[in-house]
Amino acid sequence: MPVTLLDNLIYVVILAFIGSGALLAGLVMAVFSALLSFWAGSTDNSVMIQVGRRAFYATAAMIFIASALLETALVTHDFSLAYVTEHTDLSTPIALVAAGFYGGQEGSLLYWALILGILGSASLLASARLGPRLAAYAAGIMASIASFFLVVLVLVASPFDVLAITPPDGLGLNPVLRDGGMLIHPPVVLAGFAAFAIPFSFAAAALLAGRFDAAWIAHTRRFALVAWGLQSTGLLLGMWWAYHVLGWGGYWGWDPVENVAFMPWLATTAYLHSSQVQERRGRLRAWNFGLVILAFLLVVFGTFIVRSGIVPSVHTFAVSAIGPWFLGFLGVCLVFSIGLLALRSGGLHNTGEPAPAVSREGAFALQNLLLIGVIAVVFWGTMLPLVSGLVGQERVVNASYYERASGPLFAAILALMAAGPLIPWRHAGAPFWRSLTWPAAASALVLAILLAAGVRGLPALIGVPLAAAVVSTVVYEYARGIGRWRRAGGGWPRAVALLARRRRRYGAYLAHLGLAVVVVGLAASHFWQQEKDVTLQAGQQVTVAGYTLIYSGAETRELADHSELVAAMTLGGQTLEPARATYAGLGGQSLTHVAISSSPVADVYVVLAGTNSDGSASFRIFVNPLVTWIWAGGAIIIVGVILGNTGRRRQVAEPVTASVPSAVGAS
Amino acid sequence: MIRWAIVMGVVAACVGYLVYSASGGASEYYVTVSELRSHQPASGDVRVAGVVQDDIQRSDGGLHVRFTEKDGTASVVVDYTGTLPDIFKPGITVVAEGRLGGDGVFHARAVLAKCPSRFSTTSYTS
Repeated sequence: MPVTLLDNLIYVVILAFIGSGALLAGLVMAVFSALLSFWAGSTDNSVMIQVGRRAFYATAAMIFIASALLETALVTHDFSLAYVTEHTDLSTPIALVAAGFYGGQEGSLLYWALILGILGSASLLASARLGPRLAAYAAGIMASIASFFLVVLVLVASPFDVLAITPPDGLGLNPVLRDGGMLIHPPVVLAGFAAFAIPFSFAAAALLAGRFDAAWIAHTRRFALVAWGLQSTGLLLGMWWAYHVLGWGGYWGWDPVENVAFMPWLATTAYLHSSQVQERRGRLRAWNFGLVILAFLLVVFGTFIVRSGIVPSVHTFAVSAIGPWFLGFLGVCLVFSIGLLALRSGGLHNTGEPAPAVSREGAFALQNLLLIGVIAVVFWGTMLPLVSGLVGQERVVNASYYERASGPLFAAILALMAAGPLIPWRHAGAPFWRSLTWPAAASALVLAILLAAGVRGLPALIGVPLAAAVVSTVVYEYARGIGRWRRAGGGWPRAVALLARRRRRYGAYLAHLGLAVVVVGLAASHFWQQEKDVTLQAGQQVTVAGYTLIYSGAETRELADHSELVAAMTLGGQTLEPARATYAGLGGQSLTHVAISSSPVADVYVVLAGTNSDGSASFRIFVNPLVTWIWAGGAIIIVGVILGNTGRRRQVAEPVTASVPSAVGAS
Repeated sequence: MIRWAIVMGVVAACVGYLVYSASGGASEYYVTVSELRSHQPASGDVRVAGVVQDDIQRSDGGLHVRFTEKDGTASVVVDYTGTLPDIFKPGITVVAEGRLGGDGVFHARAVLAKCPSRFSTTSYTS
């Protein structure tokens, strides 16, 4: 398609000029919104509070326009933009071209800002009940965060840079990334991180406004749950993608890039639990502020680590000029948050009465400390190369460090997951100790089965029975609720209706159940994985962990831009076709196509290494027990989160001990 | 408040102990190829990063591989059995995890490639 000078000029004008213009206008709006909102909030000027808020909506609109223009440029293959040329080409499937929006450095920053704009606007639209001051400060903080992203987008990493000469085709996407996983994993993870800016902004706003009650928690609960749900889904999708594509038989490698995505998830998990203590019992006020701040700082820290490349990682992202910008942003956030917390620490008294150690409050507090402990373990392991490099020879820890250091902490958290939901608030009496019989019996039973089956590894003997205890607790809670309502009259329909009405609580239990299933899958596939390297002639067979595979031959297929060496193996009645593609256009880069035969019991995972001159082929074969349980458990978690998030809050008439001042002058 | 501080202290001490005990046998030194010969610790693995040269010899259907890894001016022969990362080819940077043997060959337990976690294959500057 010949591109005339005029066409080219129109494209450049429309896309690049308006795109950068939208970003610049968005930046001006964001700075204006931030300054005005802080000023109007501190002077209680309700008219200017409205103006500041609308300026934030305008910022979001500008970000949306810029995003729409970038997406248009991508799908219309407008190679006059450097971003489009560097990240796509004409042969890439259109869905992956569209995914280029968040696939590159500049676009992923724009995507982050877009999520912040959308969710931030939603959180402000619904903030009438919070009172104008708190909402104004929250708008100011969100506008400040948006300003940072827009400054970077305008000054250092613009997706709208125009090339001097428009090339006929782009550079395309590395074949490793040409996969459906690319469509879903990155946007979900990034959205999960961006979403956590909302609870952070409202927490900081509450501190600024001196409103230490649980109003900010109640207001942002849905956003925190959305953030947690997206982060959980994103982590699981990343594991799923790595497992199906990379061909090393595993799904998690404790790489720094994985670790920095895992830490915010841990902190968010802790917050979802501790925030309930404040809402229900008026305790842990200062802790909750600290936790939200920690989670957000970990998000920013993760982005900095990933983008700066200062820690050696298997993933090296485009290391660019934005590293120092993120370090600066991290520093500003750190100083601002810690300073604010220190300034307000005098007013952060708990209103509720203290509870004894064995109570729901105590269980949540201990769970929080353990999660912070896991964060410390992961943080130390991630930062060791940097710290040791400063004082001497650079050192790295391997996966066994993380397993050995965090394993006991995870075991304790699982035990709490089994006991915690059974412990009543305030005080644990005899009924609680009796109810522990169920999880204890379940774990003893599973332990006996494992021992009888010949399992001797201590980690599995601790982890799997504890997961069984968690499942038993969830089942017990469901059965108790249904039984009570059924007996109270109305039978099954009423019991189910009540369960659905209290879905915030029962959704959370479902998420616990899902996590227990994930834990069993992780433990089984980690501790009982079997692996075999084998070279076979056609017709020969190999047996791994009871699965017999027969190699029946290999052939080479020529495709448009690559050739594929496909081996055929039969497993029972199935044919598995592990393959190795070679891309001549990319310097002969090869790409493994793993063949996986999944069942609820085990995955047979076959990687083709290559063929030999004598006609034989070499394979690496893994048998991974219960891997499908990880994905199934993940699906249960997601269902639980969705149920929990659609439920209305406070269906149970628990006394609210925190004194909530009525929202004054709601706009 | 005091009770809270005690629990915190106990958890912190446990975490400290776990980190200390776990990092004992599980940490490896990151060395350059030139440091490899002089700085290899008495026990445990090291990680060495370098660029793969174009003398890759594969045998056993690609499961066994021998190649030269070069870093600046120093180079070392790496011997490895197992599946290699997809993007493994001459010119890419890999991190080999293992030990330098008495034969002067680096026997790798794992070879990791720097993953191309971005869309483009090369940079296109205007």
